[in-house]
Amino acid sequence: MAELSAGIATVSAPVRRRRPLKTLLAMRPMALPDASGGRDSWSAPLGEAPADGAAAVRAVVGEVLDPELPISVVELGLVYGVDFEDGTARIDLTFTATACPCMDFIKQDVSDRIAMEPWVDRVEINEVWDPPWTTARISEEGRRKLARLGVGA
Amino acid sequence: MSQRAEEQLKERIRGGYILESPEEMTPGYRRAIIIQLTVQADTELMSAPAYWLAARHAPSTNTQVSAHAIIQDELAHANIAYRLLEDMGVSKEKLVYGREPHEFKHPYGFDQPLDNWAELVVANGFFDRAGICLLGDVHRNTSYGPLKRALVKVDMEETFHLRHGEVWMRRLARAGGAATELLQRCVDWMFPMTIEWFGLPDDLKRHSGQLDYQLKGLTNDELRQLWMSSTVPLCEGLGLKVPAHYDEAAEEYVLDYPFPCEYDPEAKHWLFDDGEITWDAVFERWKGRGPMNERYVESVRRSRGTVSSWLN
Repeated sequence: MAELSAGIATVSAPVRRRRPLKTLLAMRPMALPDASGGRDSWSAPLGEAPADGAAAVRAVVGEVLDPELPISVVELGLVYGVDFEDGTARIDLTFTATACPCMDFIKQDVSDRIAMEPWVDRVEINEVWDPPWTTARISEEGRRKLARLGVGA
Repeated sequence: MSQRAEEQLKERIRGGYILESPEEMTPGYRRAIIIQLTVQADTELMSAPAYWLAARHAPSTNTQVSAHAIIQDELAHANIAYRLLEDMGVSKEKLVYGREPHEFKHPYGFDQPLDNWAELVVANGFFDRAGICLLGDVHRNTSYGPLKRALVKVDMEETFHLRHGEVWMRRLARAGGAATELLQRCVDWMFPMTIEWFGLPDDLKRHSGQLDYQLKGLTNDELRQLWMSSTVPLCEGLGLKVPAHYDEAAEEYVLDYPFPCEYDPEAKHWLFDDGEITWDAVFERWKGRGPMNERYVESVRRSRGTVSSWLN
Protein backbone atom coordinates (compact mmCIF):
# COMPACT_ATOMS: atom_id res chain seq x y z
CA MET A 1 0.00 0.00 0.00
CA ALA A 2 1.17 3.51 -0.62
CA GLU A 3 2.78 5.07 2.38
CA LEU A 4 0.68 8.16 2.93
CA SER A 5 2.16 9.71 5.95
CA ALA A 6 5.35 9.21 7.86
CA GLY A 7 3.18 9.71 10.92
CA ILE A 8 1.42 6.36 10.61
CA ALA A 9 4.69 4.46 10.42
CA THR A 10 5.48 2.33 13.45
CA VAL A 11 9.11 1.62 14.09
CA SER A 12 10.21 -1.97 13.67
CA ALA A 13 12.89 -3.88 11.83
CA PRO A 14 13.75 -2.75 8.30
CA VAL A 15 11.82 -4.63 5.65
CA ARG A 16 13.72 -7.48 4.07
CA ARG A 17 15.87 -7.10 1.02
CA ARG A 18 13.98 -7.15 -2.22
CA ARG A 19 14.05 -10.25 -4.37
CA PRO A 20 15.20 -10.15 -8.01
CA LEU A 21 12.58 -9.34 -10.64
CA LYS A 22 12.86 -12.78 -12.26
CA THR A 23 11.95 -14.39 -8.93
CA LEU A 24 8.89 -12.15 -8.68
CA LEU A 25 7.84 -12.86 -12.24
CA ALA A 26 8.13 -16.59 -11.65
CA MET A 27 5.71 -16.43 -8.71
CA ARG A 28 2.94 -14.27 -10.13
CA PRO A 29 -0.13 -16.42 -10.69
CA MET A 30 -2.52 -13.47 -10.48
CA ALA A 31 -0.30 -10.44 -10.08
CA LEU A 32 -0.72 -9.26 -13.64
CA PRO A 33 -3.58 -11.08 -15.28
CA ASP A 34 -3.91 -11.40 -19.00
CA ALA A 35 -5.47 -8.19 -20.26
CA SER A 36 -5.00 -9.20 -23.88
CA GLY A 37 -8.01 -11.47 -24.34
CA GLY A 38 -5.61 -14.40 -24.56
CA ARG A 39 -3.62 -12.97 -27.48
CA ASP A 40 -0.34 -13.92 -25.87
CA SER A 41 -1.28 -17.59 -26.09
CA TRP A 42 -3.09 -17.69 -29.42
CA SER A 43 -1.80 -20.60 -31.51
CA ALA A 44 -0.25 -20.22 -34.95
CA PRO A 45 -2.73 -20.24 -37.87
CA LEU A 46 -3.47 -23.51 -39.66
CA GLY A 47 -1.30 -23.91 -42.77
CA GLU A 48 -4.07 -25.04 -45.07
CA ALA A 49 -7.86 -25.03 -45.20
CA PRO A 50 -9.31 -27.58 -42.78
CA ALA A 51 -11.78 -30.26 -43.90
CA ASP A 52 -14.36 -29.02 -41.38
CA GLY A 53 -14.19 -25.22 -41.61
CA ALA A 54 -16.92 -24.54 -39.04
CA ALA A 55 -15.25 -26.79 -36.44
CA ALA A 56 -11.92 -25.10 -37.11
CA VAL A 57 -13.46 -21.64 -36.68
CA ARG A 58 -15.05 -22.75 -33.41
CA ALA A 59 -11.69 -24.10 -32.26
CA VAL A 60 -9.85 -20.82 -32.89
CA VAL A 61 -12.63 -18.76 -31.28
CA GLY A 62 -12.09 -21.05 -28.30
CA GLU A 63 -8.71 -19.35 -27.82
CA VAL A 64 -10.32 -15.96 -27.21
CA LEU A 65 -10.64 -15.19 -23.50
CA ASP A 66 -13.31 -13.11 -21.83
CA PRO A 67 -11.88 -9.69 -20.86
CA GLU A 68 -12.62 -10.27 -17.16
CA LEU A 69 -12.79 -13.99 -16.51
CA PRO A 70 -9.87 -16.19 -17.56
CA ILE A 71 -12.09 -18.59 -19.53
CA SER A 72 -12.81 -18.57 -23.26
CA VAL A 73 -15.86 -16.98 -24.83
CA VAL A 74 -16.88 -20.49 -25.98
CA GLU A 75 -16.66 -21.84 -22.41
CA LEU A 76 -18.60 -18.81 -21.22
CA GLY A 77 -21.38 -19.76 -23.66
CA LEU A 78 -21.33 -16.59 -25.78
CA VAL A 79 -21.04 -18.43 -29.12
CA TYR A 80 -24.50 -19.45 -30.35
CA GLY A 81 -23.54 -20.65 -33.79
CA VAL A 82 -20.62 -21.01 -36.21
CA ASP A 83 -20.73 -21.43 -39.95
CA PHE A 84 -18.07 -21.48 -42.65
CA GLU A 85 -18.78 -21.27 -46.36
CA ASP A 86 -16.82 -20.01 -49.39
CA GLY A 87 -14.13 -18.41 -47.28
CA THR A 88 -16.60 -16.57 -45.04
CA ALA A 89 -16.73 -17.31 -41.31
CA ARG A 90 -20.02 -16.41 -39.62
CA ILE A 91 -20.39 -16.30 -35.86
CA ASP A 92 -23.56 -15.81 -33.85
CA LEU A 93 -22.35 -14.11 -30.73
CA THR A 94 -24.22 -12.97 -27.64
CA PHE A 95 -23.10 -11.08 -24.53
CA THR A 96 -23.84 -11.52 -20.87
CA ALA A 97 -25.85 -8.27 -20.79
CA THR A 98 -27.15 -5.74 -23.29
CA ALA A 99 -25.08 -3.06 -21.58
CA CYS A 100 -21.97 -5.25 -21.49
CA PRO A 101 -19.07 -2.77 -21.40
CA CYS A 102 -16.75 -5.28 -23.09
CA MET A 103 -18.69 -5.94 -26.32
CA ASP A 104 -16.24 -3.90 -28.31
CA PHE A 105 -13.22 -5.85 -27.03
CA ILE A 106 -14.87 -9.25 -27.42
CA LYS A 107 -15.97 -8.61 -31.01
CA GLN A 108 -12.56 -7.28 -31.92
CA ASP A 109 -10.77 -10.27 -30.36
CA VAL A 110 -13.05 -12.81 -32.04
CA SER A 111 -12.72 -11.08 -35.38
CA ASP A 112 -8.93 -10.68 -35.11
CA ARG A 113 -8.39 -14.30 -34.11
CA ILE A 114 -10.44 -15.72 -36.98
CA ALA A 115 -8.91 -13.29 -39.47
CA MET A 116 -5.44 -14.64 -38.59
CA GLU A 117 -6.35 -17.83 -40.50
CA PRO A 118 -5.14 -17.57 -44.13
CA TRP A 119 -8.05 -19.73 -45.40
CA VAL A 120 -10.61 -17.25 -44.04
CA ASP A 121 -11.39 -14.32 -46.39
CA ARG A 122 -14.18 -12.65 -44.43
CA VAL A 123 -15.49 -12.63 -40.86
CA GLU A 124 -19.11 -11.78 -40.09
CA ILE A 125 -20.23 -11.40 -36.51
CA ASN A 126 -23.97 -11.42 -35.82
CA GLU A 127 -25.07 -10.07 -32.47
CA VAL A 128 -27.76 -12.37 -31.07
CA TRP A 129 -29.93 -11.58 -28.05
CA ASP A 130 -32.45 -14.41 -28.23
CA PRO A 131 -32.37 -16.56 -26.20
CA PRO A 132 -30.80 -14.33 -23.58
CA TRP A 133 -27.57 -15.54 -22.03
CA THR A 134 -27.73 -16.95 -18.51
CA THR A 135 -25.08 -18.53 -16.31
CA ALA A 136 -26.58 -21.92 -17.29
CA ARG A 137 -24.73 -21.50 -20.62
CA ILE A 138 -21.29 -21.74 -19.02
CA SER A 139 -19.73 -25.07 -19.98
CA GLU A 140 -18.68 -27.71 -17.45
CA GLU A 141 -15.03 -27.02 -18.21
CA GLY A 142 -15.62 -23.28 -17.78
CA ARG A 143 -17.30 -23.95 -14.45
CA ARG A 144 -14.40 -26.09 -13.26
CA LYS A 145 -11.87 -23.38 -14.18
CA LEU A 146 -13.91 -20.69 -12.43
CA ALA A 147 -14.37 -22.84 -9.34
CA ARG A 148 -10.60 -23.27 -9.09
CA LEU A 149 -10.34 -19.47 -8.97
CA GLY A 150 -13.01 -19.14 -6.33
CA VAL A 151 -15.76 -17.95 -8.67
CA GLY A 152 -19.13 -19.69 -8.35
CA ALA A 153 -21.37 -19.78 -11.42
CA MET B 1 -2.70 -7.91 24.75
CA SER B 2 0.99 -8.54 25.12
CA GLN B 3 3.90 -8.54 22.76
CA ARG B 4 3.92 -12.30 23.33
CA ALA B 5 0.43 -12.59 21.84
CA GLU B 6 1.56 -10.60 18.81
CA GLU B 7 4.55 -12.87 18.31
CA GLN B 8 2.40 -15.96 18.73
CA LEU B 9 -0.02 -14.78 16.08
CA LYS B 10 2.83 -13.97 13.67
CA GLU B 11 4.22 -17.46 14.28
CA ARG B 12 0.87 -19.12 13.54
CA ILE B 13 0.49 -17.02 10.39
CA ARG B 14 3.97 -18.03 9.23
CA GLY B 15 2.75 -21.61 9.58
CA GLY B 16 -0.07 -20.87 7.13
CA TYR B 17 -2.85 -19.92 9.55
CA ILE B 18 -5.68 -17.87 8.02
CA LEU B 19 -7.76 -15.60 10.28
CA GLU B 20 -11.49 -15.76 9.61
CA SER B 21 -12.88 -13.16 12.01
CA PRO B 22 -11.90 -9.92 13.74
CA GLU B 23 -12.14 -11.70 17.13
CA GLU B 24 -8.95 -13.57 16.27
CA MET B 25 -6.96 -10.36 15.69
CA THR B 26 -4.40 -8.97 18.09
CA PRO B 27 -4.27 -5.17 18.48
CA GLY B 28 -1.19 -5.01 16.25
CA TYR B 29 -2.81 -7.08 13.52
CA ARG B 30 -6.00 -5.06 13.76
CA ARG B 31 -4.12 -1.77 13.47
CA ALA B 32 -2.18 -2.98 10.42
CA ILE B 33 -5.18 -4.34 8.53
CA ILE B 34 -7.28 -1.24 9.28
CA ILE B 35 -4.59 0.96 7.71
CA GLN B 36 -4.32 -1.37 4.72
CA LEU B 37 -8.07 -1.58 4.12
CA THR B 38 -8.60 2.15 4.61
CA VAL B 39 -6.00 2.94 1.95
CA GLN B 40 -7.58 0.32 -0.32
CA ALA B 41 -11.14 1.59 0.19
CA ASP B 42 -10.25 5.27 -0.13
CA THR B 43 -8.25 4.63 -3.29
CA GLU B 44 -11.12 2.79 -4.97
CA LEU B 45 -13.59 5.46 -3.83
CA MET B 46 -11.56 8.44 -5.05
CA SER B 47 -10.87 6.84 -8.41
CA ALA B 48 -14.62 7.07 -9.11
CA PRO B 49 -15.01 10.88 -9.22
CA ALA B 50 -11.68 11.19 -11.03
CA TYR B 51 -12.86 8.79 -13.75
CA TRP B 52 -16.37 10.22 -13.73
CA LEU B 53 -15.29 13.72 -14.66
CA ALA B 54 -12.99 12.33 -17.36
CA ALA B 55 -15.71 10.06 -18.78
CA ARG B 56 -17.59 13.15 -19.97
CA HIS B 57 -14.99 13.26 -22.73
CA ALA B 58 -15.88 9.78 -24.00
CA PRO B 59 -15.84 9.77 -27.80
CA SER B 60 -19.14 7.85 -28.14
CA THR B 61 -22.07 6.51 -26.13
CA ASN B 62 -20.69 2.96 -26.15
CA THR B 63 -17.31 4.07 -24.90
CA GLN B 64 -18.99 6.09 -22.18
CA VAL B 65 -20.88 2.94 -21.12
CA SER B 66 -17.51 1.18 -20.74
CA ALA B 67 -16.11 4.04 -18.68
CA HIS B 68 -19.19 4.13 -16.46
CA ALA B 69 -18.96 0.37 -15.92
CA ILE B 70 -15.43 0.91 -14.63
CA ILE B 71 -16.64 3.64 -12.27
CA GLN B 72 -19.41 1.40 -10.98
CA ASP B 73 -16.84 -1.36 -10.34
CA GLU B 74 -14.61 1.03 -8.40
CA LEU B 75 -17.47 2.11 -6.15
CA ALA B 76 -18.33 -1.52 -5.49
CA HIS B 77 -14.69 -2.30 -4.70
CA ALA B 78 -14.61 0.59 -2.25
CA ASN B 79 -17.75 -0.74 -0.60
CA ILE B 80 -16.22 -4.21 -0.25
CA ALA B 81 -13.27 -2.79 1.67
CA TYR B 82 -15.43 -0.46 3.83
CA ARG B 83 -17.69 -3.42 4.62
CA LEU B 84 -14.72 -5.46 5.83
CA LEU B 85 -13.73 -2.48 8.00
CA GLU B 86 -17.23 -2.43 9.47
CA ASP B 87 -16.71 -6.04 10.58
CA MET B 88 -13.82 -4.68 12.66
CA GLY B 89 -16.03 -2.07 14.28
CA VAL B 90 -14.89 0.82 12.09
CA SER B 91 -17.76 3.03 10.95
CA LYS B 92 -18.18 3.28 7.17
CA GLU B 93 -20.42 6.25 7.80
CA LYS B 94 -17.64 8.09 9.59
CA LEU B 95 -15.02 7.11 7.06
CA VAL B 96 -17.00 8.34 4.07
CA TYR B 97 -18.83 11.32 5.60
CA GLY B 98 -16.99 12.15 8.81
CA ARG B 99 -13.52 13.02 7.59
CA GLU B 100 -11.98 16.11 6.12
CA PRO B 101 -11.03 15.66 2.45
CA HIS B 102 -7.31 15.74 3.27
CA GLU B 103 -7.75 12.88 5.76
CA PHE B 104 -8.61 10.32 3.09
CA LYS B 105 -5.75 7.90 2.51
CA HIS B 106 -5.78 7.46 -1.26
CA PRO B 107 -2.58 8.16 -3.18
CA TYR B 108 -1.71 11.63 -4.44
CA GLY B 109 -2.34 10.42 -8.01
CA PHE B 110 -6.08 10.47 -7.34
CA ASP B 111 -5.96 14.09 -6.29
CA GLN B 112 -5.12 15.08 -9.85
CA PRO B 113 -7.54 16.18 -12.56
CA LEU B 114 -8.00 13.84 -15.52
CA ASP B 115 -8.79 16.37 -18.21
CA ASN B 116 -9.46 14.30 -21.30
CA TRP B 117 -10.17 10.80 -22.62
CA ALA B 118 -6.46 10.04 -23.08
CA GLU B 119 -5.78 10.77 -19.41
CA LEU B 120 -8.63 8.46 -18.40
CA VAL B 121 -7.34 5.55 -20.45
CA VAL B 122 -3.74 6.03 -19.31
CA ALA B 123 -5.08 6.10 -15.73
CA ASN B 124 -6.68 2.72 -16.52
CA GLY B 125 -3.45 1.48 -18.05
CA PHE B 126 -1.16 2.78 -15.28
CA PHE B 127 -3.14 3.35 -12.06
CA ASP B 128 -5.41 0.31 -12.39
CA ARG B 129 -2.35 -1.78 -13.21
CA ALA B 130 -0.78 -0.52 -9.98
CA GLY B 131 -4.00 -1.54 -8.23
CA ILE B 132 -3.75 -5.03 -9.71
CA CYS B 133 -0.09 -5.34 -8.64
CA LEU B 134 -0.97 -4.27 -5.10
CA LEU B 135 -4.25 -6.13 -4.68
CA GLY B 136 -3.13 -9.22 -6.62
CA ASP B 137 -0.31 -9.50 -4.11
CA VAL B 138 -2.71 -9.02 -1.20
CA HIS B 139 -5.01 -11.67 -2.70
CA ARG B 140 -2.20 -14.22 -2.92
CA ASN B 141 -0.62 -13.53 0.43
CA THR B 142 -3.14 -12.11 2.88
CA SER B 143 -3.65 -13.98 6.13
CA TYR B 144 -7.22 -12.60 6.39
CA GLY B 145 -9.65 -15.05 4.76
CA PRO B 146 -12.61 -12.70 4.14
CA LEU B 147 -10.36 -10.26 2.27
CA LYS B 148 -8.73 -13.02 0.23
CA ARG B 149 -12.14 -14.21 -1.01
CA ALA B 150 -13.45 -10.70 -1.66
CA LEU B 151 -10.46 -9.88 -3.85
CA VAL B 152 -11.25 -12.62 -6.38
CA LYS B 153 -13.99 -10.46 -7.86
CA VAL B 154 -12.02 -7.23 -7.48
CA ASP B 155 -8.97 -8.54 -9.33
CA MET B 156 -10.99 -9.91 -12.24
CA GLU B 157 -12.86 -6.67 -12.71
CA GLU B 158 -9.64 -4.70 -12.55
CA THR B 159 -8.43 -6.82 -15.47
CA PHE B 160 -11.17 -5.32 -17.61
CA HIS B 161 -10.12 -1.81 -16.55
CA LEU B 162 -6.56 -2.60 -17.53
CA ARG B 163 -7.80 -3.98 -20.83
CA HIS B 164 -9.75 -0.79 -21.43
CA GLY B 165 -6.60 1.21 -20.81
CA GLU B 166 -4.41 -0.91 -23.07
CA VAL B 167 -6.85 -1.06 -25.99
CA TRP B 168 -7.31 2.70 -25.98
CA MET B 169 -3.63 3.46 -25.52
CA ARG B 170 -2.99 1.28 -28.57
CA ARG B 171 -5.68 3.10 -30.59
CA LEU B 172 -4.35 6.53 -29.69
CA ALA B 173 -0.77 5.46 -30.38
CA ARG B 174 -1.76 4.19 -33.83
CA ALA B 175 -3.78 7.29 -34.65
CA GLY B 176 -0.61 9.39 -34.85
CA GLY B 177 -0.45 13.18 -34.90
CA ALA B 178 -2.16 15.11 -32.12
CA ALA B 179 -3.64 11.96 -30.53
CA THR B 180 -0.22 10.36 -30.10
CA GLU B 181 1.29 13.60 -28.80
CA LEU B 182 -1.50 13.88 -26.25
CA LEU B 183 -0.91 10.26 -25.21
CA GLN B 184 2.79 10.95 -24.72
CA ARG B 185 2.01 13.98 -22.54
CA CYS B 186 -0.21 11.76 -20.35
CA VAL B 187 2.56 9.19 -20.01
CA ASP B 188 5.06 11.93 -19.11
CA TRP B 189 3.21 12.91 -15.93
CA MET B 190 1.40 9.69 -15.09
CA PHE B 191 4.35 7.29 -15.28
CA PRO B 192 6.36 9.02 -12.49
CA MET B 193 3.09 9.53 -10.59
CA THR B 194 2.53 5.77 -10.46
CA ILE B 195 6.17 5.05 -9.61
CA GLU B 196 5.85 7.37 -6.60
CA TRP B 197 2.52 5.73 -5.64
CA PHE B 198 4.33 2.58 -4.47
CA GLY B 199 5.90 4.62 -1.70
CA LEU B 200 9.19 4.61 0.19
CA PRO B 201 12.04 2.49 -1.14
CA ASP B 202 12.67 -0.63 0.94
CA ASP B 203 15.96 0.57 2.39
CA LEU B 204 14.23 3.59 3.96
CA LYS B 205 11.05 1.84 5.03
CA ARG B 206 10.56 0.76 8.61
CA HIS B 207 6.82 0.19 8.68
CA SER B 208 6.60 -3.53 8.17
CA GLY B 209 3.43 -4.55 10.03
CA GLN B 210 1.73 -5.51 6.79
CA LEU B 211 4.58 -7.87 5.90
CA ASP B 212 5.00 -9.26 9.45
CA TYR B 213 1.33 -10.23 9.64
CA GLN B 214 1.37 -11.35 6.02
CA LEU B 215 -1.23 -8.86 4.92
CA LYS B 216 0.83 -8.62 1.76
CA GLY B 217 3.82 -10.47 0.36
CA LEU B 218 5.79 -8.04 -1.76
CA THR B 219 7.76 -4.97 -0.69
CA ASN B 220 7.29 -1.52 -2.23
CA ASP B 221 10.34 -1.89 -4.46
CA GLU B 222 9.26 -5.36 -5.56
CA LEU B 223 5.83 -4.03 -6.51
CA ARG B 224 7.44 -1.13 -8.36
CA GLN B 225 9.58 -3.57 -10.35
CA LEU B 226 6.59 -5.74 -11.13
CA TRP B 227 4.60 -2.74 -12.36
CA MET B 228 7.47 -1.57 -14.57
CA SER B 229 7.98 -5.08 -15.95
CA SER B 230 4.64 -4.86 -17.74
CA THR B 231 4.26 -1.09 -18.19
CA VAL B 232 7.65 -0.32 -19.77
CA PRO B 233 7.38 -2.99 -22.52
CA LEU B 234 3.78 -1.92 -23.22
CA CYS B 235 4.80 1.70 -23.72
CA GLU B 236 7.93 0.87 -25.69
CA GLY B 237 5.85 -1.38 -27.96
CA LEU B 238 3.55 1.58 -28.67
CA GLY B 239 6.47 3.87 -29.46
CA LEU B 240 5.97 5.89 -26.27
CA LYS B 241 8.91 7.23 -24.33
CA VAL B 242 9.12 6.36 -20.63
CA PRO B 243 11.76 7.54 -18.13
CA ALA B 244 12.87 3.99 -17.23
CA HIS B 245 14.64 1.10 -18.92
CA TYR B 246 15.58 -2.51 -18.33
CA ASP B 247 19.18 -2.89 -17.20
CA GLU B 248 20.49 -6.18 -18.63
CA ALA B 249 23.38 -6.46 -16.19
CA ALA B 250 21.32 -5.73 -13.08
CA GLU B 251 18.34 -7.72 -14.44
CA GLU B 252 15.92 -5.10 -13.25
CA TYR B 253 14.24 -1.87 -14.29
CA VAL B 254 16.07 1.36 -13.60
CA LEU B 255 14.60 4.87 -13.46
CA ASP B 256 16.16 7.48 -15.72
CA TYR B 257 15.28 10.46 -13.53
CA PRO B 258 15.98 11.61 -9.98
CA PHE B 259 13.66 9.74 -7.64
CA PRO B 260 11.86 11.08 -5.76
CA CYS B 261 11.50 14.49 -7.34
CA GLU B 262 9.21 17.50 -7.18
CA TYR B 263 5.94 17.79 -9.09
CA ASP B 264 4.11 20.84 -10.36
CA PRO B 265 0.43 19.86 -10.31
CA GLU B 266 -0.76 22.96 -12.15
CA ALA B 267 1.56 22.33 -15.08
CA LYS B 268 1.31 18.52 -14.71
CA HIS B 269 5.05 18.47 -14.91
CA TRP B 270 7.79 16.64 -12.97
CA LEU B 271 10.80 18.82 -12.20
CA PHE B 272 13.48 16.31 -13.22
CA ASP B 273 16.00 19.12 -13.72
CA ASP B 274 15.72 20.24 -10.08
CA GLY B 275 17.16 16.92 -8.95
CA GLU B 276 16.33 14.51 -6.16
CA ILE B 277 14.32 15.65 -3.14
CA THR B 278 13.85 13.98 0.24
CA TRP B 279 10.99 11.65 1.06
CA ASP B 280 10.01 14.06 3.82
CA ALA B 281 9.38 16.63 1.08
CA VAL B 282 7.26 14.04 -0.78
CA PHE B 283 5.22 13.32 2.39
CA GLU B 284 4.69 17.07 2.79
CA ARG B 285 3.35 17.33 -0.76
CA TRP B 286 1.10 14.30 -0.21
CA LYS B 287 -0.21 15.66 3.08
CA GLY B 288 -1.00 18.96 1.38
CA ARG B 289 -3.13 16.92 -1.07
CA GLY B 290 -3.56 17.71 -4.76
CA PRO B 291 -5.74 20.16 -6.68
CA MET B 292 -8.87 17.97 -6.95
CA ASN B 293 -8.97 16.55 -3.42
CA GLU B 294 -11.87 18.61 -2.08
CA ARG B 295 -13.87 18.50 -5.28
CA TYR B 296 -13.62 14.71 -5.55
CA VAL B 297 -14.63 14.14 -1.93
CA GLU B 298 -17.52 16.58 -2.28
CA SER B 299 -18.54 14.83 -5.47
CA VAL B 300 -18.95 11.40 -3.85
CA ARG B 301 -20.89 12.91 -0.95
CA ARG B 302 -23.08 15.34 -2.87
CA SER B 303 -26.12 13.24 -3.63
CA ARG B 304 -26.61 12.18 -0.05
CA GLY B 305 -29.96 13.42 1.19
CA THR B 306 -31.16 14.26 -2.27
CA VAL B 307 -31.65 10.64 -3.31
CA SER B 308 -34.93 10.45 -1.41
CA SER B 309 -36.22 13.55 -3.19
CA TRP B 310 -35.47 11.98 -6.58
CA LEU B 311 -37.57 8.98 -5.58
CA ASN B 312 -40.59 11.07 -4.61
